[in-house]
Amino acid sequence: MAQALEIVPKQIDSDQWDEPYYVNMGPQHPATHGVLRIFLELDGETIVRCDPRIGYLHRGVEKLSENLTYSQAMVLTDRLDYIASAANNVGYCLAVEELMGLEVPRRAQIIRVIVCEMARIASHLLWLATHALDIGAMTVFLYCFRDREWLLDIFEEICGARLTVSYPRIGGVRLDFNQHIIDELYRFTEEFPRRIPEYETLIDVNRIWLKRTKGVGVISGEEAVNLGLTGPSLRGSGVRYDLRRSRPYLIYDELDFEVAVEYEGDVYSRYRVRMKEMREANKIIRQCLDKLAECEGEPTVAENAPDLLIPFGKPKRPQPAPHPKKGFLVKSVEVPIVPEGEVYFAIEAPKGELGYYIVSDGSGHPWRVRIRAPSFVHISALPALSEGQMVADIIAVIGSVDIVLGECDR
Amino acid sequence: MLALEKLQEKFPEEIIETGESAGQTYVVVKREKIFDILKFLHESGELLFDHLADLTAVDWHKKKTPRFEVVYNLYSIRYKQFLRIKAQVPEEDPIITSVTPIWKVANWFEREVYDMFGIVFDGHPDLRRLLMPEDWEGFPLRKDYPLFLSPEKEWQGLVELKEKARRLAPFDWYQRVPGEVKEEEMKEPEEEKVAEGEGHGASA
Amino acid sequence: MMAAGASHNDLDRFGIIFRASPRQSDVLVVAGTVTKKMAPVVRRVYDQMPEPRYVIAMGSCACSGGIFRTYSTVQGCDEFLPVDVYVPGCPPRPEALMEGLIKLQQKIRSEHARWGSFR
Repeated sequence: MAQALEIVPKQIDSDQWDEPYYVNMGPQHPATHGVLRIFLELDGETIVRCDPRIGYLHRGVEKLSENLTYSQAMVLTDRLDYIASAANNVGYCLAVEELMGLEVPRRAQIIRVIVCEMARIASHLLWLATHALDIGAMTVFLYCFRDREWLLDIFEEICGARLTVSYPRIGGVRLDFNQHIIDELYRFTEEFPRRIPEYETLIDVNRIWLKRTKGVGVISGEEAVNLGLTGPSLRGSGVRYDLRRSRPYLIYDELDFEVAVEYEGDVYSRYRVRMKEMREANKIIRQCLDKLAECEGEPTVAENAPDLLIPFGKPKRPQPAPHPKKGFLVKSVEVPIVPEGEVYFAIEAPKGELGYYIVSDGSGHPWRVRIRAPSFVHISALPALSEGQMVADIIAVIGSVDIVLGECDR
Repeated sequence: MLALEKLQEKFPEEIIETGESAGQTYVVVKREKIFDILKFLHESGELLFDHLADLTAVDWHKKKTPRFEVVYNLYSIRYKQFLRIKAQVPEEDPIITSVTPIWKVANWFEREVYDMFGIVFDGHPDLRRLLMPEDWEGFPLRKDYPLFLSPEKEWQGLVELKEKARRLAPFDWYQRVPGEVKEEEMKEPEEEKVAEGEGHGASA
Repeated sequence: MMAAGASHNDLDRFGIIFRASPRQSDVLVVAGTVTKKMAPVVRRVYDQMPEPRYVIAMGSCACSGGIFRTYSTVQGCDEFLPVDVYVPGCPPRPEALMEGLIKLQQKIRSEHARWGSFR
């Protein structure tokens, strides 16, 4: 006596799928720029909820810099946004000098501007390379790296390191430019405006590129300000806020450049903003090189810079051997140079507004160093930018807000 | 400064101290009405502080009471004014109102402050750990938290991971146990005291 | 690593291609700092690789923790992974990474009675 089994399927029709579908774009992923984990809740192909999770590169830089002197902590700031590390260093040095009230000589300021703008071009080139690679245009990657290698070679000649340059110092810069570097930079500024159209002809009027970037990740001006976006991501939505013009630092108030603004607010307009910024950065380097020729022979470090105040003594003999796991245990000499107080100083890094909030208690090492990283804020804005879009669009959106996990997680 | 005067005439009893440091004005307030103060600054006509540049906390361990200070760095894009508001939060009762309804960017800033300092934000939509793993104990940026954890206080996830690595080592092709190094790979006679370190492995 | 894969220093001429999935790859390059939150993930990726598999620790942070001796950094990825080649540097030059990969190729070639020339 077999009874008929009643099989009741849970889902009768695929149109009535009630349960959400969870996808984890894990920390190890080729298209998230670094170790970013995004937890997506999908309804078909559309994103219902997006929850980015960070912290996979949190190295404790803020706590570590509380145990180091000001000059030592500068090396840590290199590793935040490791693509344009010169900009991070300049921001930190400016913040400490503002707190100290130190006057930096003019030649050092011009050199810092040149190095900052070179970092901006290098960062935007890498941004374009990875953004295009994610969307599918692989040739752009190779083209952009050709120019980036040129810039990195110039960086190597300036200070010895390609990527994590610790070139600025509190009070100036490390070494002066020699004539070969200046000639190379002149050659670069002449050749680079001819290279930018090469990238643009590859993707600008390409139907696939336009379909994938126009109308994707749209955000309005006030929403963007409320979400804290800064830099090219904000200027792509029509808000003309550039720290080089609003709160000028170094010699930016003497230079003649335009602020790039677009009004659509989608991925394509952010792309256009960054291409224009590359051209403007090139113009700025050109003007600075001319200004550099006017102040030959001036010092590049202020007289009472802290690095010059550290007493120079003979090392103890015999040298203590390094511990196999802890390394060298020699502590640097602490020079109490910075008075009590606090400062919040922000610069226009290639990614956005990079701010340093430094609290000092008068001793040789800072009490609190807080790094306001633009990538942190941009990742927090990802849910607002991508909810309602398709899964493939989130890749374009992540690429367009230009994140680097090193500075997001610190 | 216009913002300072307006603040002083509207909330006179909340302000504890005002000052200037490196050319930037700051205002120290009590934490009770911080939401109203910031809402006033965000919306009032002549001081449109629409850009919350930074929200963070400072731990004045043993230097000042109350122990924590939550710092709001505000900037007005239209009027090009900068202001810093500091709210004092005591150690016994580290709760302060969240400003997420005013600025959406404060969401992640406050999560990070909770993660690093342990200050709870009242009214926050989703307060959980951001930078550290979910089951981490302790609040790293407090001054009494060590910089480098000793092996007893290690995070459980890492301890389990090392156990797992040791357990899976016999199935490895070369049968190397991570964290150990074989004797013949350690031969470097000139350098003394490179010692029984871990993983100074040989490459061919 | 990206610069090593681009056109100036080309990894493709050594027969090295970047793959998106660990199930299709032979070598895992651990580049950058490994934090305690990320360590289980890296171990999981390593476990997903089929044999023969090799690991290159690239950069000082992956070799030994680098300058970050803090509460959240694993002092070297060899605490939970068996590493074959260490490429120090902060960051290592593309040429240094290529030397590391070539050393790995030599090591594989000299493996006795495994995947070496006596197959």
